[in-house]
Amino acid sequence: MSSLPPPPPVSGSRIDVPPVAEPMVELSNVSKVFGDVVAVSDVSFTVGPGVTALLGPNGAGKSTLFRMLCGLTPPSQGQVRVLGSDARRDREVRGRIGLIGQEDGLFDQLSAGRFVEIAAMTHGMVDPKAVAVEALAEVELDPLEPKPLGAYSKGMRQRVKVAAGLVNDPDVMVLDEPLTGLDPVQRRRMIALFHRLGDQGRCVLVSSHVLDEVARLGSRVLVIAQGRLAATGDYRALRDLMDDRPHRIRLRTDDPRTLAARLIDTGTAVAVRVETDGLVADILDVDRFGRSLAPLARDIGIRLHEVEPLDDDLESVFRYLVERR
Amino acid sequence: MSDEAKILDRGYRSYEGHRSGVGGAIRSVAWHSMRTVLGVGRPARHKIFPAVSVIIAYLPALVFVGIAALLPVDLVGEEALPSYADYVGFIGIAIVLFCGLVAPEVLVRDRRDGMLGLYLSTPLQRDTYLVAKVAAVMTTLMIVTLGPPLLLLIAYTFEGSGPGGVGDWLVLFVRIVASGVAISAVFAAVSLAASSLTDRRAFASVGVILVLLGSSAVASALVEAAEMSTNVRLFDLLAMPFELVQRIYGETGDFPEIETTLVAGANIGWALFGTAVVWFRYRRLAVSR
Amino acid sequence: MTATQEPRRERRTVGSVAALIITFQVLVRQIVTRSRLIALGLMGAIVVVVGWAVGMSDSTDRDLDPLEQSVRISVNLGLTVVVPVVALVFAAGALGDARDDGTLVYLWLRPMRRWPVAVGAFAAALVVALPLTVIPVVATAALIESSGELVTAVAIATTVAVVGYTGLFLLLGSLLKRSIVWGLAYIIIWEGVAAGLGRAAARLSIRGYARSVITDRVGVEVASFDITQGWGIVAPLVAATAAIMLTTWRLNRMDVA
Repeated sequence: MSSLPPPPPVSGSRIDVPPVAEPMVELSNVSKVFGDVVAVSDVSFTVGPGVTALLGPNGAGKSTLFRMLCGLTPPSQGQVRVLGSDARRDREVRGRIGLIGQEDGLFDQLSAGRFVEIAAMTHGMVDPKAVAVEALAEVELDPLEPKPLGAYSKGMRQRVKVAAGLVNDPDVMVLDEPLTGLDPVQRRRMIALFHRLGDQGRCVLVSSHVLDEVARLGSRVLVIAQGRLAATGDYRALRDLMDDRPHRIRLRTDDPRTLAARLIDTGTAVAVRVETDGLVADILDVDRFGRSLAPLARDIGIRLHEVEPLDDDLESVFRYLVERR
Repeated sequence: MSDEAKILDRGYRSYEGHRSGVGGAIRSVAWHSMRTVLGVGRPARHKIFPAVSVIIAYLPALVFVGIAALLPVDLVGEEALPSYADYVGFIGIAIVLFCGLVAPEVLVRDRRDGMLGLYLSTPLQRDTYLVAKVAAVMTTLMIVTLGPPLLLLIAYTFEGSGPGGVGDWLVLFVRIVASGVAISAVFAAVSLAASSLTDRRAFASVGVILVLLGSSAVASALVEAAEMSTNVRLFDLLAMPFELVQRIYGETGDFPEIETTLVAGANIGWALFGTAVVWFRYRRLAVSR
Repeated sequence: MTATQEPRRERRTVGSVAALIITFQVLVRQIVTRSRLIALGLMGAIVVVVGWAVGMSDSTDRDLDPLEQSVRISVNLGLTVVVPVVALVFAAGALGDARDDGTLVYLWLRPMRRWPVAVGAFAAALVVALPLTVIPVVATAALIESSGELVTAVAIATTVAVVGYTGLFLLLGSLLKRSIVWGLAYIIIWEGVAAGLGRAAARLSIRGYARSVITDRVGVEVASFDITQGWGIVAPLVAATAAIMLTTWRLNRMDVA
């Protein structure tokens, strides 16, 4: 059963939710095989409240993982638990999941208002019409628009899907490439919405293969490549774990040549490239570099203007984990 | 710009070899379409329907050849085995089933998948694209309309129960080929016409089979029950091609009261009508991708 | 982690009747398209025109008596072509279309039991298919021979056949991807050919039971086997019920896109 705290009161303003000790989503040694193709291989992880990004290239197994998580397809091996239960068997848990799938299919004959209202009805919401109005307002769509969904653009359809996924106040939101087809303004607003939902104590899982999007979604990532879980955690912490790969750091100083020579002499840097107002150094031991840089600058009498890590970003982590370079 | 600048590897080389032109494109599209319909190079589930149709079409021929080979002629009797003229009618159900499958797969799939736009970006134009598709449907249908009677002819010839002389053999051969081509042409035109009107393969299949079976049932009812002119049978799209086959073999057929010229005219008319529907539909079709 | 939470929206359990009604409402809107209505309505209209033409012809020249003619045309055009094809298009599409276009998830990943979804889909297909079949087939029969007993027999037989086929094709739509093509093959090969070859096969065809109802009520011999009208009605209903139960089972185990 659910590991969540008891349901909060129906009315009232914002309330504090105590920390949740147990994970809201838990996968244990999960594999999925389609014929001869291993789509997901021996994946285990747990996810709690807040926004977590599932990152991986196309065909990595992200959608299959999400489909298993929602119970849409059973795992070939292993166990998937959402709120302590199997969504495929537990009707109550199905009511606490909000899925925004990658499939473009909607009931095209219906208006957006009616579609979202039906989504609310299927979740047993008490006032489905009001819920639909509220959910469509979240994605900035007009609930009274009579146009059928079949006539909507890709981006508008995507927003309708998000609205339909919000109607049941889900504890676990699963969003498979939710920003596809949205314009930059809508992307920003949607990302803000996901953060707001995460801040409310919901588990928000968002998949993407676009690094910029993931970087804006938050620092917590699950990286999946070729069906295997490649890494999990804060991507900046992951970067620090990449011991066999030098960190690249730009230093702005008034005497780059002297600093470059000293960095090489002391073995602090393995490679240095001198530029007009600074240098770029490849560092193996970041901690040692951090400790020794200031004394070293003082010793040789130069002034340091700026220290900037160049590859402390998600793209670097992604390249390392997924593309092995 | 430096004089020494040069690109050493563009990663792309233009093709300098022989180009087969529009003819090659037509052959290529027709060949690929046939492979798709027959499930060649596709998962097993795509092979089931063509396999069932082909088995239904060829199995009786194999059985008849076996009977003729194993049992004495006086025991079997000539009338016990269907004539060449009757054979295609005998396997009519396989032909209808195959017909409902082939044209929708050949024509509808390209519109749904966006392949049509890709094909039209090659030397193929709409007309030449349709020529390739008609050739594919005709040839594929001939697997069940021409193949089994040819198999019968060859097998009977080898076991000594075929036509007497070379002249008779050639006449029979020409009749078999003419029958196979005629029946394929009419069914291909009708099924392509139905397939050009919907973007769903399943509904195209329903349409093809409804037109064939429905026109037959309606024509029968109008002639037999409403006592309308027997010429109403000319609208029977299922029976008319089989009736033409009977006439090609010099038989009187199931509807002897209808003149042979009318039967032939009706079949030519339906083939032209079906082709015209497809042609007009594709002329007006907006290809967006 | 300390999180803040918005007040949650009020909800209640989705009852089976509510789930059934919602499924019905959604799927009726999805399966009824203008092109389907026009095409299948036209097919029914052609059958009615045939009935009218036969009814208008000079009866003294007829080889068969009007009752027998009426029955044969109702069976050959109505029960053999119109009823199975209309039922196939709507029943196979009810869950099959939703599965193929990825909308089934909006009924599947919900706190609802599976059986109301199966029954709701069946009801949606049936409600659309019934008028498109029963009206033209009964009208055709009545235009040829306006006997109350004949009209009742044809109406019962058609209704029973539609119910049976709808159940069967609903199950097919939930089981197979190209369900309409498989359904067509079933109609042509099994119902059209195999059922006419022997009694055992006829007893496993919906059309066989529908024909038995007509034979039992009006005495015109179109049945492949002898059974009472009651069994002729009950057997297709049992087949439909079994098909709905299997569809429920299938919904519980299927992969959803």
